[in-house]
Amino acid sequence: MRVVRGLGFTVKALLGLGMAAICWAAFLWARPAQNFVGESSRIVFFHVPMAWVSTLAFFIAAWHSAVYLRKRRIENDDAAAGAARLGFVFCVLATVTGSIFARVMWNSYWNWDPRETSIVLLLLVYGAYLGLRGALEDPERRATLSAAYALVAVVTVPFLTFAVPRMYQSLHPDTVLNVRGRVEMSADIRTVFFSSMVAFMILFFWMWNLDRRVSRIVRERAAA
Amino acid sequence: MSAPRKAAGVLPAAIAVFRRELLAEWRTRVAVNSLFLFAFAVLVLVAYAVGPTRLSPEDRPTVNAVLLWIVLFFSAMTGLSRTFVHEEDAGTAAALRLSAPPSGVLLGKLLANMALLGAVTAFIVPLFVVLMGFEIRDPPLFVLLLLLGTFGLASASTFTAALVSKASAKGALFAVLAIPLLLPPLVGAVLATRVAATEADFSAGIDFARLLVAYDGVVTTAAFMLFDAVWRE
Amino acid sequence: MRLVAENLSRSFGRRAFGPVSFSVETGRVLGVAGENGSGKTTLLKTLAGLIRPSGGRARIFFEGEDAGDGCEPRDVPWHIGWVAPDLALYGELTAEENLTFFERVRGLVPTPGRARALLESVGLPPDSHSKKPLSSLSTGQRQRVKLAFATLHEPDLLFLDEPGANLDEAGRSIVQRVVAEQRLRGIAVIASNDPRDLALADERVTLS
Repeated sequence: MRVVRGLGFTVKALLGLGMAAICWAAFLWARPAQNFVGESSRIVFFHVPMAWVSTLAFFIAAWHSAVYLRKRRIENDDAAAGAARLGFVFCVLATVTGSIFARVMWNSYWNWDPRETSIVLLLLVYGAYLGLRGALEDPERRATLSAAYALVAVVTVPFLTFAVPRMYQSLHPDTVLNVRGRVEMSADIRTVFFSSMVAFMILFFWMWNLDRRVSRIVRERAAA
Repeated sequence: MSAPRKAAGVLPAAIAVFRRELLAEWRTRVAVNSLFLFAFAVLVLVAYAVGPTRLSPEDRPTVNAVLLWIVLFFSAMTGLSRTFVHEEDAGTAAALRLSAPPSGVLLGKLLANMALLGAVTAFIVPLFVVLMGFEIRDPPLFVLLLLLGTFGLASASTFTAALVSKASAKGALFAVLAIPLLLPPLVGAVLATRVAATEADFSAGIDFARLLVAYDGVVTTAAFMLFDAVWRE
Repeated sequence: MRLVAENLSRSFGRRAFGPVSFSVETGRVLGVAGENGSGKTTLLKTLAGLIRPSGGRARIFFEGEDAGDGCEPRDVPWHIGWVAPDLALYGELTAEENLTFFERVRGLVPTPGRARALLESVGLPPDSHSKKPLSSLSTGQRQRVKLAFATLHEPDLLFLDEPGANLDEAGRSIVQRVVAEQRLRGIAVIASNDPRDLALADERVTLS
């Protein structure tokens, strides 16, 4: 137990220092990328990890939903709900940062670019999932029904990516994993970018873990 | 004591559920009235306010395609939740749960909702085309899109109705839950309807038809896999 | 056949009933007593497989093939009949149409006249209910239709929640007959506060 607690402290301390270092490097060390207006490329260090974490959280929520329906353990419901709550927050942040970037880059906050459309859909799904949970009193019924919704959503949402990009040219900068299959970033940007990706994921897992522990405590207190 | 019997077959149960839905609907006409009246009122409003002449020719395909699917989508939202919501409100769900295999219930209700939405579509689309001066260059593609689109609408809405029937604030929640599930096929259907209106070449819209077939298949399969857990909760 | 409850309990946030344990054999009738709010209705719903238990388990052991660990009630709904105040049948259909519908979804082939005979046996002659939607029948008449619904498929287990509610003397004797018939077929469980209903039981569980 003591070893685990010591490890947890070390990870938290490293996360704090790492985040500070990433903020420093993002604004003071990395150079602006080519073909971007002014300093706008620096947002990639925050915007992309947020968008990535919110997508990851969606799949984690769906995974735990599936496990819940099989095993009927309420802990899986805690995990799915926690991932969705955090995913929603990261999704809002990714939308806002993306919109700011769009204003600087293309002179308009919103363009219904395919990626913008996708993230709005993700926001709607998170909103609907959390709304459904809010409308259900009984914990087991809430767990079952929201798990079913998460699983239907996870198979229908990807259809948007087939429906939309056929019609429009995307303005969005190439994704990290692009069609050419290699990372096209200068070395300094690449270093900061991937460090930030890792740091945001650790941040997410840490917050997610806290959320699950809180859910368990709340449930145990309600039962007592 | 009688020997252990088996569960009833899915298909006979589905047919019985489907027939009962239609019979009850025939006697009360609640869903039919709300669906048809809603669709008709919106159509009148749109035709009066926008009409065939107020749109420039280049805007017409896009705006008409969007308006048509908005009418169909919101008609689905007004009428299709009733199958399950009424079952829970009237207290008959428990009797059905004890008596019928879950897949039979879903299939029967899905067919009833498809019949209902299909009837509204058959009623509203010709009127819309006439009143709005909506020229369709490729009628076969248009009809195919309507069939595939309403299939997907009915499937996703029926499953969502099963979910919200167990929750409080059912009316508001129904659309909130259905919109994210239906946004992808609706975006596809709108874009494809515009293609059907502007291009006579069937192959131009076939990509969208494939998209809708895939969506319909996936959402219906998911609904049948998850329905058992939802229905018996 | 045997119906067994082992430390069965259910809570909705707070405790609804239990834990209770009991075992009932074929041919026996179990009475469930307890004041209002003690969880009788919830217990019967859990035994009928309509509600998942929060703790413990309910098991049905059939003779022969299914013995072993028994079955969960929710997995064998075709063996179960259930009547309760919050059970409702379709108000837009007539009594006979209701029964025919439930025969169909249960996979029984509806024979003409069977539904009518069953209604007759619960004291509803055709002229009292035909051509009238169920919603226009009286509460007592609807209770009789519910009894017919619950025994339609000759279930091995019959759960009667307040079976005598809203019934006149003739109706109560029908409940007695239904319970007597169920004794020959399997197990009956009656939840009630009415001593006349509970008098039909051989064994008793009291919830607190």
